[in-house]
Amino acid sequence: MGAFLEDLPLWVQWVAKVAIIFGGLVGTAALMSLAERKVSAWMQFRHGPNRVGPFGLLQPLADGIKFIFKEELIPAGANKFLFRLAPALAAIPSMMTIAVIPIGTIKVGEKEIPFSIAQLDLGIMYMLALGGLSVYGAILGGWASNSKYSLLGGLRASAQMISYELTLILSILVIVALSGSLDLNAIVTAQRENGLWNVFTPFGALAFVLFTIASFAETNRHPFDFAECEPELVGGFHTEYSAMRFALFFLGEYCAMTVMACLNTTLFFGGPSVPLWPEAPWFLGILAFLLKAGFFLFLFIWVRWTLPRFRFDQLMRLGWKVALPIALANLLVVGAWVAFTTPKSS
Amino acid sequence: MVVVQRKALTLAERLYLPEVLRGLSLTFRKFFEKPITRQYPEQPLPTDEVTRGQPRLVVKEDGNIACVSCGMCEIACPAYAITIDGGETDRGIEREPKKFEIDMLRCILCGFCEEACPKDAIFMSNELELADYTRAGLVYDLEKLKRPKSALQKRIDYVYRLNDRWRSKQ
Ligand code: SF4
Ligand code: SF4
Repeated sequence: MGAFLEDLPLWVQWVAKVAIIFGGLVGTAALMSLAERKVSAWMQFRHGPNRVGPFGLLQPLADGIKFIFKEELIPAGANKFLFRLAPALAAIPSMMTIAVIPIGTIKVGEKEIPFSIAQLDLGIMYMLALGGLSVYGAILGGWASNSKYSLLGGLRASAQMISYELTLILSILVIVALSGSLDLNAIVTAQRENGLWNVFTPFGALAFVLFTIASFAETNRHPFDFAECEPELVGGFHTEYSAMRFALFFLGEYCAMTVMACLNTTLFFGGPSVPLWPEAPWFLGILAFLLKAGFFLFLFIWVRWTLPRFRFDQLMRLGWKVALPIALANLLVVGAWVAFTTPKSS
Repeated sequence: MVVVQRKALTLAERLYLPEVLRGLSLTFRKFFEKPITRQYPEQPLPTDEVTRGQPRLVVKEDGNIACVSCGMCEIACPAYAITIDGGETDRGIEREPKKFEIDMLRCILCGFCEEACPKDAIFMSNELELADYTRAGLVYDLEKLKRPKSALQKRIDYVYRLNDRWRSKQ
């Protein structure tokens, strides 16, 4: 068995990895739509969906079928091309970012296969560049709908993303400075070699808090979901969308959440490393990664059903006057500390 | 005039994060509590004789319908839900309905028909569910309205008790 797997051509390996990781991501997104309703229900003494399949597990499937067969409406006066394009623009970038997340390594016989689609030296740059693109979906969707609520939602989405992207990047940079690489694999390795997850270092802990807050804003989740903001803006940028295109926006949102959870795990919680047991077998590593990422996914839902939404000016104040200065100061201190403690190589 | 004094926030409250953690711990504890939702079709609402469900016609022990098609309920009905067509019978009471329809979509479950009936022939049952694919299907005819007296006995006793109380006040 092992020998057979080792002899497989490389492209089979790649195709299998893409299929597994991508399928896993979309599957997670679908399950999240169920988990969201289940968790919210349990927190409010309700049952949640429990009619389709055991414990309602087939509910996402039923929803998918319903979405596909629903009639799609395009508002009069909408820019049809952009209107159709926007959901794809929202969903695709957030799905693509999963490619560089190191989920672990698979050992087949003697060979170690890294369990991630791509091992880029500039993994973090790739993630941030693509992650920044996903806001286009919200803005274009809002603008192309020819509706005031959609437009307001889209505008808010862009303002919010720009404000929090800074904090997000600055807190990631702290980790980059600490481990000296933009490669996510190297960041994981550095944490393993130090024997200390980044979240347990003082700078890392601060960066973790900022990163988590910013990731909530980046994925448009409560308490920062101003792009949707049901009570004021009907549904925000996706007010006019229906059927499968509407579902695509949500698929994108849940994929973005999943990727953020994975990134959080990788940057601050040692990725696939098992706590206190550095020589753990590879499948435990992958399990550990999934559990950690699962916790952050749960955190997204947990916070959503706990906190009320901010006011828009509060959101901006928090972003520019609180989070950004702290992130900047954190980065400066870390930079100075790294510069003075690292022995000069040249 | 009421002046609401704004409570000054403590530092911990203004920092927001401690309060966030407090909220999270609250929702997490509630997470494990038992749901209080009633799972409707499996766990129907409890009903008793006070429940004013849909009106039904009494069929006496001898198998005959108690209604004499006097039309009192038809007139009492505020929603014009009842349509009666009377006919003759060889029984001692001489009259019985040939057609007795209640349009359940019009019926507002007020119970006036029950009050108006001089022959104790129509009572509010504990049947609450109402669903069909057509409007016509929800116009209940004689066959759909007939219920044996035993099925309505609790309600009948209850109505008698109510009326007794009213009589004793006079
Ligand atoms: S009032 Fe009673 S007896 Fe008269 S028609 Fe109605 S149900 Fe029949
Ligand atoms: S319950 Fe009221 S509305 Fe319904 S049939 Fe009787 S009198 Fe009419």
